[in-house]
Amino acid sequence: MSPAPEATEDTQESGVNRRALLGGAAALAAFAGIGPLRAQSHAAPRSYRLEAVEIAARTWCVYGAQEDLTRANGGAIANAAFIQTPDGVVVIDTGPSKRYGEALAQLVADRLPGKRILRVYNTHHHPDHVFGNQAFPREALAAPQAVIEAMTAQGEALAANMYRILGDWMRGTVPTPPGRALNASREEIGGRVFTLTELKGHTACDLVVRDEETGLVFAGDLAFLDRAPTTPNADLPAWRASLAALRRMERESLLPGHGPVDPAGASLEQTLDWLDWLEGTLRESVARGLTMNEAMATPIPARFAALGVARTEFERSVVHLRTRLEEEILAEAPSGG
Amino acid sequence: MLRIRPPALGAVLAFAALSAAPASAQEIPPDPLKSGMWELVAEENFPGEIVFDPRVKLSLPAAAEDQFHVPVTIDARALAAEIGPIEEMVVAADLNPIIHAVTFRPGEKAEPFLGLRIKVEQTTPVRVGVRGADGIWRVAAAVIDAAGGGCSAPAAAHGQKDWMSTLGEARALASRSDAGETRLSFRMRHPMDTGFAAGVPIFHLGELSLTLESGEELAGLEISAPISEDPTFNLLTRPSVGGAAVSVAARDSEGNRFAFSIPLPGEAVN
Ligand SMILES: [Zn+2]
Repeated sequence: MSPAPEATEDTQESGVNRRALLGGAAALAAFAGIGPLRAQSHAAPRSYRLEAVEIAARTWCVYGAQEDLTRANGGAIANAAFIQTPDGVVVIDTGPSKRYGEALAQLVADRLPGKRILRVYNTHHHPDHVFGNQAFPREALAAPQAVIEAMTAQGEALAANMYRILGDWMRGTVPTPPGRALNASREEIGGRVFTLTELKGHTACDLVVRDEETGLVFAGDLAFLDRAPTTPNADLPAWRASLAALRRMERESLLPGHGPVDPAGASLEQTLDWLDWLEGTLRESVARGLTMNEAMATPIPARFAALGVARTEFERSVVHLRTRLEEEILAEAPSGG
Repeated sequence: MLRIRPPALGAVLAFAALSAAPASAQEIPPDPLKSGMWELVAEENFPGEIVFDPRVKLSLPAAAEDQFHVPVTIDARALAAEIGPIEEMVVAADLNPIIHAVTFRPGEKAEPFLGLRIKVEQTTPVRVGVRGADGIWRVAAAVIDAAGGGCSAPAAAHGQKDWMSTLGEARALASRSDAGETRLSFRMRHPMDTGFAAGVPIFHLGELSLTLESGEELAGLEISAPISEDPTFNLLTRPSVGGAAVSVAARDSEGNRFAFSIPLPGEAVN
């Protein structure tokens, strides 16, 4: 595979996203080997500046940017969290790269000196949540069997794409699926009890972790708040059922996979609202005979105006979901003619 | 005629990159995208006089979310309003191993408008050339950013045992708007093998034609292998189209023939 065009420090700083950056003719010229390649930057590798925000008793979140994966944000777009138990630390999701994982492990060590990391849960197989696994003790990594299988099957392809988008941020990152498959619905880790529920819909398997001590529910990417949900592996009816299950789940608060901690459960309403609108809009566009490009140009309702990357995610969702909806909405054509 | 490029692409690429001399008598205008393949693409797909024309609309995303399904819409309605009927519209992608994707020939009752999906092997310019009665090719072009492998990976169908039994199976829908325009959507099962995946020979839908009840051809398509697996198209007819159904006949590169019909909505205008 040919390398993606190098971003200069300037374009990184200005936050130009990769679509804009790579979409232009200059990018093509660099790609096709015509026109001068820009001099590569030899600046020191960038580092993540992670910050832990306390969101419940002895529970911290490292918030991701409410953005797309870009070289400006190093792929740090998903939430990661850690919890201090009497005898050690539990980590939930590990970020997009080895370097992020190392920064997260360092942050844990700084915040909770001398505490061992006893358990690392992966909520689902998406790379922005699990490509930091390498930085954590192997024996601590755990996920449902289906998540491990998806990481194993898709890890290399996902990594290739992440390297391409994030470049040097990904240096040394090797997909590292957990060796431990979770089969208990309840685990006591270092003296604190966690309830584990396997749901699905954002992907084929989404792990929800509930901390019994604080009642905080880690919803993974079943819940998004103030950022448009992503759908590359989505099953919309299953996702809706999981949102209903989350709504019924006893909880004090909830941490979405992307977005701020959410005591009121607004993320569940917002995610459901988006999925309903998305599916309705896509169904209507198929029923009206619109092309995919026409469907992508559908106006996004004002109530979603505050959602990060709504236009980008909507356009991606058209590609993810269109074929299945066509299969359903187009009728079997009488043969002969 | 299907414009299929031979597999010896490496040599062609190298040649095109080194040689700047146009082979045809017509002057090929410089490519705004500065692709090393442009002259070759132009000679093979748009033979004759060429101009870049903003009245030709080419819609495609800036980046491919799925390289096997890159949505493309070509629309020459604004151009047709000024220069008259469009004879053919050709879609080509410079850096695909097979450059030609589709040739669309709208008849009198079809708008010069088509929705399709293509596979892209890598980041590439995509072009549409539109030819009217004056024979001039009016071209629009845009770049799609893509990661690699869309043409050389095997079709998803080959993961299923029974794909041959559903070959050519069609689903379709005609929808009529208040303005009386009818949109035809149809999808046919076909693996659309490019011949670049190991051990899978080229095998794709080739010619396709849509015919009205009156016997008049609504539109014709010449389809090459870079069209996505299970080819799906969206067409737009003129309000004057009537009748109970449109018949579709197609043939693939192995000579298999397929025929189906698309029932039209009852409340036909005219
Ligand atoms: Zn996700």
